[in-house]
Amino acid sequence: MPCERKPMRYGHSEGHTDVCFDDEGKCVVTCGSDGDVRIWESLDDDDPKSINVGEKVYSVGLKNGKLVTAVSNNTIQIHTFPEGDPDGILTRFTTNANHVTFNSSGSRVAAGSSDFIVKIVEVVDSSQQKTLRGHDAPILSVALDPSDEFLASSSCDGSVAVWSIESQTQVAQWQILQKSSDVSNAKSLCRLAWQPRSGKLLAVPVDLTIQLYDRNTWTHVSTLSDDLISQVVNVVVWSPCGKFLAAGTVGGNLLVWDVEAKLCIERQKHEKGFTVCGMAWHPSGGRIAYTDTEGCLGLLEGVPSSSSTVQSTKVSRSSSHDDDDDRGLDEGMSDSRSPVKKPIMEEDDDDDDLMPATGRPRNRGSFLDDDDNSQGMSCVKLDGVPEEDGSSAILPAVGPAVSRPVYEGPMPTQPQRAFQPGSTPVHLMHRFMVWNSVGIVRGYNDDQDNAIDVEFHDTAIHHAMHLTNTLGHTMADLSQEAVLLACEGTEELASKIQCLHFSCWDTHKDWIVDLPKGEDVRTLCLGQGWAAVATSALMVRLFSVGGVQKEIFSLPGAVVCMAGHGEQLLIVYHRGTGFDGDQALGIQLLQLGHKRRQVIHGEPLPLSRKSYLAWMGFTAEGTPCCIDSEGVVRMLNRTLGNMWTPVCNTRDSCKSKSDHYWVVGVHENPQQLRCIPCKGARYPPTLPRPAVAVLPFNLPYCQTTTEKGQMEEQYWRSVLFQNHYGFLSSSGYEIDSEGQSRAEKEQQELLMKMFALSCKLEREFRCVELAEIMTHSVVTLAIRYASRSRRMALAQRLSELALEKASQIQEEEQEEEEPAYQRLICSSFEEMKLLLNFVFQEYLINIFKLQVSGAGKSSSSPAGQPRTTNVLDSMTMSNRKPAPLGSTSKQGKAPVLKPLAPKPKSKTQATLLQMSASKGNSKKLEDSQSEAEKVKPAPAATPPASAENIENRKPKTGFQLWLEENRKSILADNPDFEEMDVIKEGMGRFRTLSAEERLNWTERAKGDSDPKKRKREDEEGQVDEQTESDEGRTKKKKPLDTSAKLSAFAFNKE
Amino acid sequence: MDPAEVEFLAEKEMVKIIPNFSLDKIYLIGGDLGPFNPGLPVEVPVWLALNLKQRQKCRIVPPEWMDTDKLEEIREQERKLDTFTPIPSLYYMELTKLLLNHSADNIPKADEIRTLVKDIWDTRVAKLRLSADSFISQQEAHAQLDNLTLMEINTTRSFLLDSLNYMYKLRSNLQPGRSQDY
Repeated sequence: MPCERKPMRYGHSEGHTDVCFDDEGKCVVTCGSDGDVRIWESLDDDDPKSINVGEKVYSVGLKNGKLVTAVSNNTIQIHTFPEGDPDGILTRFTTNANHVTFNSSGSRVAAGSSDFIVKIVEVVDSSQQKTLRGHDAPILSVALDPSDEFLASSSCDGSVAVWSIESQTQVAQWQILQKSSDVSNAKSLCRLAWQPRSGKLLAVPVDLTIQLYDRNTWTHVSTLSDDLISQVVNVVVWSPCGKFLAAGTVGGNLLVWDVEAKLCIERQKHEKGFTVCGMAWHPSGGRIAYTDTEGCLGLLEGVPSSSSTVQSTKVSRSSSHDDDDDRGLDEGMSDSRSPVKKPIMEEDDDDDDLMPATGRPRNRGSFLDDDDNSQGMSCVKLDGVPEEDGSSAILPAVGPAVSRPVYEGPMPTQPQRAFQPGSTPVHLMHRFMVWNSVGIVRGYNDDQDNAIDVEFHDTAIHHAMHLTNTLGHTMADLSQEAVLLACEGTEELASKIQCLHFSCWDTHKDWIVDLPKGEDVRTLCLGQGWAAVATSALMVRLFSVGGVQKEIFSLPGAVVCMAGHGEQLLIVYHRGTGFDGDQALGIQLLQLGHKRRQVIHGEPLPLSRKSYLAWMGFTAEGTPCCIDSEGVVRMLNRTLGNMWTPVCNTRDSCKSKSDHYWVVGVHENPQQLRCIPCKGARYPPTLPRPAVAVLPFNLPYCQTTTEKGQMEEQYWRSVLFQNHYGFLSSSGYEIDSEGQSRAEKEQQELLMKMFALSCKLEREFRCVELAEIMTHSVVTLAIRYASRSRRMALAQRLSELALEKASQIQEEEQEEEEPAYQRLICSSFEEMKLLLNFVFQEYLINIFKLQVSGAGKSSSSPAGQPRTTNVLDSMTMSNRKPAPLGSTSKQGKAPVLKPLAPKPKSKTQATLLQMSASKGNSKKLEDSQSEAEKVKPAPAATPPASAENIENRKPKTGFQLWLEENRKSILADNPDFEEMDVIKEGMGRFRTLSAEERLNWTERAKGDSDPKKRKREDEEGQVDEQTESDEGRTKKKKPLDTSAKLSAFAFNKE
Repeated sequence: MDPAEVEFLAEKEMVKIIPNFSLDKIYLIGGDLGPFNPGLPVEVPVWLALNLKQRQKCRIVPPEWMDTDKLEEIREQERKLDTFTPIPSLYYMELTKLLLNHSADNIPKADEIRTLVKDIWDTRVAKLRLSADSFISQQEAHAQLDNLTLMEINTTRSFLLDSLNYMYKLRSNLQPGRSQDY
C-alpha cells in the first residue's frame, strides 16, 4: 500500500527543527531555530498558533498538555498546551540541551545536554532530579524506557549507553558511533527509540543502518537497512503499535520497516532531499510528520502498510476515518465526557460537570479504551505480535496516550450539524441562505460587502430586498409573510433573531429578539402566522409572526433542522448516536392550530445507509418530505400510519457520479420534484443564477420494466400523491376536488387495466384481489368484463364482492344518517341488482348453451343457484333496512342525482357520480359505464326461452311483488319514466308503506306462485317496450356494442 | 423579404423563461402556453418572453447554445472548414440580437457572446460571398449550400438574384459564339 507524501510546507526559518504530535493526534507541534513552537491543526493550516519560547529551540516534547522545550538559554522550559502560557523552568544545564523527551506516561522528562550530562526530572516536582554522568562528550539524544526502568543515551563520544534510572548507573554501553567534538559536527543526531509498550527493543541509528538491541540481555538482535539509504540515518521512531519503525536520513530518505519481518515496506524521498531531523508518528499510526533542517514540515499519509491483513485493515480504517476515530477516542479518554452524550450536546459543556461519575463506566461499556488490560489485549490481538512476557504488568498505570487503544466495533458517527433546509454551507462567501417555494435569500460576505438579498419568485408577494448584514446573520427562512433571520452569538453579543414582517400593515415592519446569554440559534423556520427557533439549549421557542413570544418546549436531542407549513411544524433532532456512518435522527410533527397536538411523536427518521439528512420540508400541499445525502426522497404516508415511503432517487437521474440535485421544492399536484442540477458538486453556486429543473417521481417498485410493474407503480404513486386531499380536507382547507376526482379516476382506470391484464394472463385470484381495491362502481365493470370474457367463476366471485362492497357503503351511509344518500344508495342498489340480473342471465345463457352443446340437460346450473338466490335475498334485505329512515316528505320528488354531487364525503359515491357525469379524458371507461346503465333493457333482447328459464328460477322479494302491482300506477303518474326511474319511484313509495304492509308483501313473496311471476314477466315486457318506444330503437343493439367496446378497452392497451 | 420579416419568424422560436408571476394556462391560436408558476422555468415563444421581460415579469433563460464555450467551438469549426457548419439554431443571429438587446442582464458574458456570434456571422457571410463569387465566375448552373440560415440567405438573395438576372440579360445580348470570353 503506497503512502501519500503531502507537499512540504514552510514552518520555521532554516536550521534545526523538531516535531511531535499532541496526545490525540489532532495537532502537529514543531519547533525551530527561530525560537518558536508552532501548533498546526493540519498541514493546510494557514494560521498555526505560534509560541515564542526563546532564541532557539533544539527539541520539543509534548504530553498531557505540557510542552517542554530545550531552549538555547540552557534551560528546559514548560509551557501549557495548547494555550502556550509559560509554566516555569524544569531544569537548567551549563550549556544548551540537545534533546528532551517525555516518558510514556508523561510523568518524567529526560534531557541530554552539551555539558555531557543527562538529567531525569519529575514534571510535577522539578526538585526531584536524577543526573546521569558518564559520557565524555555532548549528549546527542536520550530515550526513556516505556517501563521507566532504563534510559538510553547517545553521545558525541561515539557511545550509546543504557542507564538504570534507579541506580543511575550504566548497565550497557556500545561504542558504535563515530566520534565527534560537538553536536554541530556530529554526522548524525542519533535519535534513539525504545519499542513502545514493552520496551523490548532499542533502536539505534548507526551509520547507514538501524541496530536493534534486546532489552535485558543488551545484545544486538538485528539490523535494518535498505539499499536506498545512501547517507547516515538521523532519526528513528517506532509506530505506536510497536510493529513498525520509521527512519529519516541525512539524505532526506524516509523509510518504514516492518520490524518483525525486517521488511522495508515504505520508501519515500524528501522532495528536496534535505536532511530529516525530526520525525513523529501519529498516535493512531496512520501518518508520520517530519521536519528538515530547512525548517519545512511534511506529512506522510497512509503509512504503514503491512503484510498482516489485520494490521492493514486497522491502519486503513484509522487513516480513512481519522476524524471520526480521533473524535471517538478523544471522547473516550476524557473521563467526564460520555460518548453517548456528546454527539447530542456537542457544544454543551455543562453536561460534563453533571455526570462525571456515570461517564466513566459508560465509556468502558462502549469502548474498551482506557482499561489498560483490555487495551493491551486488543493490541496484541490486532498486531499479531506474540505477547511479551509480563507486558501488561509493566504497562504504565496511566498511559492511554502512548498507544492508541484499538477498538474494532462499530464507530460512532459524527452527528450532523444543524442546518437550514435549502441553504448552502455557511463557509461559502456567496451562498443561498434559503431557497424555497416562496423565494430566494442570498448572503454575501466578502471584502466589499456583507449583505443579504431577498428575492421573491412571485413579485406579487413583495419586491426584492437588499439588507446590510450588520449582525452577521447566517440563517434565514422566508414565507409569504415574513423573512426570518438569525445569527449565532459571539462572546460579547447574544444570539439574535430578526424578523422582517413585510406583510405587516403598521409601520414597524421588523422586530429583533435577543436570546438569553449562552443560548444560540441553531435553526429556525416560519409557518403561517408563527415562527419557530430551535436553540443550543435544546429548546424550541415559538413566536407569533408579529413578535409575541409564545410556547417554549424542550427537545430530546440536538436539533438538526425544522420546517414549517401552514400550522404544521416539523422538527428533526438527534435521537442518539449513530454508528458506522449512520445518523440516528428522530422526528416530531406538531400541529399548531387551535387543536394543538403532536402528530409524530419522535419516531426515528429513516435514512439511507451511511447518509445524512440533506433536505427536510413540506410539499406545497403540506405533506412532510425528506431527502438524504444519497438523494433518496421520502414522503410521509399519512394513510399508512405515518410511515415514510421513498418516492424518488435523484441520483438515478444524475449523469455522473459527482453530480447532484439540490432540491428546492416538492409538489404533489402536479407531481414535481423541483431541484437544481449541480454539476460535480452538491451545492449550486449563486452565479450564474442556477435554473430549476423538474424531476418526476418514481416509486421503487419491482419489475417496473414490465407492464404490470409499471401499472402498479403508477397506481400506488397516484394513491400516495392523492393522500394530501384527505389531509387537507380534514384540516379544513379548500381542496381541488377536480384534481382529486381526476386522480381517483386515474386510479380506477389503472386498476381496471391491471384487472384486464390479469384476466388475460388467466390469473383469476389476482383479479379478485384487484377488484377488492376497486370502488363499487368499477367492480360492476369488472364483472361485466369477466362475464364477457367467459370467466363465469370469476364473475360470480366478483358479484359477491360487489354486494359486500355495496352493503359496506350502505352501512357507512347509515351511520351518517343521511336520508338523501340512502335514496341514492337504494337507487344504485337497484341498478346493481338489474345489472346482476343481467349478468346472471348471461351466465345462465352461457351454461345453457354449454349444456345444449354438451351432454344435454345436466344439472350443473342448479348448483350455482342457491347461492344466487341468497345473494339477491340478502341484497334486498339490506335494501330494505334504510327504508324506515326514509322521510315521507321526499317521496314525491323524483330521485335526482344532482343534489348529491357537491357532497364529496364518500369517495365511492363521488366517483360513481363523476364517472357517469364528468366528461373526462377516459372516454372508454365512461362509455362502458353509461352502457352499463343502458344494459337494463337488455333482458328483452335475450332469447325468450332462456329468459323464461331465468324468470322461473328468479327469487321474488316483497318489493318486487309490490312493484309489479304498482308499476302501472307509477307509470300512469309519470308516463315519461324509464325503467330505472320507475324502480326508484317504486322504492320511494314502498318505503312509505307501513311496516305491516311491507311484511305482508314479503310474506307473499315467500309463498309466491308461478302465475304471478309470469304476470310480472309480461308486465316487464310491456314496460320494456314502453321504455324502448321512449328512447328509440338504438338501445337494442347496445349490449353487443358494449361488449365489443369493453374488450377493446381492455385489450387495446396491452 | 426584409430582415424584419425574418426576425418576426424567429420570434416564434421557443425560449425558456422563469416567470415571477402566477398564471394558469393561456390558450392561444398557436397553442397553449403555461401554466406559469413563479420560479419554475416554462417554455414560451420569444415574442412573449420579450414582452414579459420588458414588463419585468420574467427572467429569460438563455438557450443552451448561447454559451461562450460552445460558440467558440463553433467559431473555430466555422473557420477551419470551407463548408458551412451546422448551427445550433436556425435563428441564431436573430435570437442573439433579440435576447441580448432586451435581456442582457439575464445572460452571462453577454458581450462575449455578442462578439462571438458576430464573428460566426461574418465568417459565414464571407463564405457565402466567396461561394457566390466562384459560382458566378465558374458559370455553374446550380450549386448546393447546406446549413444556411434564413437570415443568411436573405442577406444575399436580392443581390445575387438581381445580379444573375442582369448577367443573364447581358449574356443573352451577346453573340452566341463569343459567350466564352466575356
